Amino acid sequence: MELKNLNAVTFEEIVYDNCENCLVVFSRKTCHVCAEVVPMVEEIAEKYKDKFGFYRVDSEEQRDLYNRFSLRGVPQLLFFKDGDYQGKLAGKVEEEQLEEKIEELL
Amino acid sequence: MSLSRKALADKILVLGIDGMDPKLTKKYVAEGKMPNTKKFIERGAQREDLVMLGAQPTVTPPMWTTLATGAYPVTHGITCFYRQSKDSLDVIEYNLDSSKCQAEQLWNVFAEAGKKTLVWHWPGSSWPPTSTSPNLSVVDGTQPGNVNMGVAIVDPEKILVASVKTEEVTYKKQAATEGEVPCVISDLKVQKSTYNLAESVKAKKKTRILLTKEDGEGALPETPFDVVYSPIKDAAGWADAPADAREFTMLHAGGLIRRPCLILKNADGVYDRVAIYKSKKETEPMAVLEQGVYVRDLLDEAIKDDDKKVIANRNMRILYLEPNGEQVRMWISAGMDTTNDDLWHPASLFKTVTENIAFPQPTCLIGNASVQIARECMIATWQASADWQADVLNYLIEKENFEIIFSHFHNVDLAGHMIIHKLKKGGKGTPEDYKQMLEDVYRQTDGYIGRFLHLLDEGWTVLIVSDHAAVCPEHNPPLIGDMTGLNVTLMRELGFTNIKQDAEGNDLKEIDWAKTKAVANRGNHIYLNIKGRDKYGIVEPEDQYEVEEEIMTALYGYKDSVTGKRVIAMALRNKDAVLLGLGGPESGDIIYWTAEGYNYDHCDSLSTTCGYGGTSVSPIFMAAGPGFKTGFKTDRIIREVDVAPTVAVIGGVRMPAQCEGAPVYQILSEEF
Repeated sequence: MELKNLNAVTFEEIVYDNCENCLVVFSRKTCHVCAEVVPMVEEIAEKYKDKFGFYRVDSEEQRDLYNRFSLRGVPQLLFFKDGDYQGKLAGKVEEEQLEEKIEELL
Repeated sequence: MSLSRKALADKILVLGIDGMDPKLTKKYVAEGKMPNTKKFIERGAQREDLVMLGAQPTVTPPMWTTLATGAYPVTHGITCFYRQSKDSLDVIEYNLDSSKCQAEQLWNVFAEAGKKTLVWHWPGSSWPPTSTSPNLSVVDGTQPGNVNMGVAIVDPEKILVASVKTEEVTYKKQAATEGEVPCVISDLKVQKSTYNLAESVKAKKKTRILLTKEDGEGALPETPFDVVYSPIKDAAGWADAPADAREFTMLHAGGLIRRPCLILKNADGVYDRVAIYKSKKETEPMAVLEQGVYVRDLLDEAIKDDDKKVIANRNMRILYLEPNGEQVRMWISAGMDTTNDDLWHPASLFKTVTENIAFPQPTCLIGNASVQIARECMIATWQASADWQADVLNYLIEKENFEIIFSHFHNVDLAGHMIIHKLKKGGKGTPEDYKQMLEDVYRQTDGYIGRFLHLLDEGWTVLIVSDHAAVCPEHNPPLIGDMTGLNVTLMRELGFTNIKQDAEGNDLKEIDWAKTKAVANRGNHIYLNIKGRDKYGIVEPEDQYEVEEEIMTALYGYKDSVTGKRVIAMALRNKDAVLLGLGGPESGDIIYWTAEGYNYDHCDSLSTTCGYGGTSVSPIFMAAGPGFKTGFKTDRIIREVDVAPTVAVIGGVRMPAQCEGAPVYQILSEEF
């Protein structure tokens, strides 16, 4: 399942106003690790599609949004629940790690 | 035959005030601005000028160690803020570490003699505790700033700027040093952060090559801070918000924690309050801030380095709130981890203090950003610290039955580092602004002293001492000596230090050891680069004496480019520096001091140095209560090494093992 792209406005709506239980992948098109991680997240998204939100922010196109979280490098997966930050996974995230984190938040 | 001496006092409080200047104190007392200190002096015994003859070097860790041990730095081995590493001449090591101290601390003597003893944030050889006596409690002492400052900051200090003109919520790390942050994001770049007092605790060894004053001690007042930007809009999507409320977003933890805020109107239709909410779904705010009111102890989340959430305490203030609600500027203190008891011995003491009083207070390090921030945030934060610390110490005296307390408070010194060198020329404000701030800090200190005056009626003996004070220079300080690293410029000009350059001829922060005969590392110390002793040595050991001669001659001959006068007060060989309590293996080959008028704050100065605006580097000594004469003045020179033996005599315990001072017999109530 392809991840839905967020910008500053939709991020605000989905994560903070709607308080969706979700993850947001900050990634870049030209990043090799992102190219491995994003498809894996998309696969997992299929499995959890009715229970958990999966989104993506392009760190180059949405520079300010990327900077807003003082992130260093991509890919980074930020988790939110009830509008609250719930931790992150960075770099070459493994499928098991991701599922474990999602299960923890469900 | 056994000789024993009875105690003259059962309960003793050493009230240490870092940086407190006897000359300024005397002036403010005479002007009626320090009424509590006046009362204390009237009841106590001290010199007319309140002066204590300071030891050298005039910097915090060595001098608090001297006050605790009665020994000079040549003996206790703490000879600057940092320690010279044996690895290389450009490496310095963390020195607020009791394991480095080679002299016995008086608090151990008291604890081992059966007295319940507290060492409170004493920034000289107090942490970790050096006695296993169950009578000894020690809190922090790993940095001079504020209790827990070195270990518990989990979120940096920041300024929030919200405006109807701002388009997006964003978080800019270390983005500004100027308090007047524009409300529209222009091009704020990450500022160069060269020295961070809190961070200094974490780096055990480091190399710091300084080419300008701003690379070293001069960076402290230029601490960059984070900036949060938020648009202001009409409140929308709230569970419960007044119809005319406006909203903005507050961010913590580098942007990861978000708190929606409402700007609220008063009955007159003027926006004058900010309510902080956990989320828009909540109907009750976490806190409501009123314009112009400093708010303490706001508890909310922060995120630690390991990505774990923790509850932090923050202090905040609305700096500006436009009556029409279109602009808000707020100061938000560092967030302090409310669970960190790493530097509390026993750890249960942290629980006692935080459950009964409050959490350790944050420290405002951006007082130089603007006059408003200096007054309303920095000095106000020290007030919060003064209140908290006085509450805690009084509680521990009353409820936990401590009998001997060695305490330290840092408002004068740290606020002084932001203020004192601006007295003559001004800075973000006029010289008059800085004069007033300095007076406010001393008034605050007087209030703090006032919180302990009642002890004099309850059988306590109280000594008020400082480690050193600070001066405003008449002229420009030379670029030699800096407590935070290796200061290149003057030694390079004199031809003794060389640095490497890149292909374009730009200076690199790297010593060219093959062309370096000597370096000025730390404050006051010059090390020759000696073959066989130093990693990259080029000076033959047999030439050491002559090269020292050459360096001292050059230093004495160096003239300030503006005044044409010398800038070095004195330079001594290591063996001669013992005259001033320095020298030995922990000192440089040459020890030097800058001349009066050319000093930066205090570290580079002789302890007798005076400066512009009635400032001086000398420490202060005042003592009152059982064991001391009442309302007594002495002509006796009271030295910094005399404090520990005086307290030992008053308390009826033996002298600490390496003590070199003598009790101030002349002010004691009994003859010895």
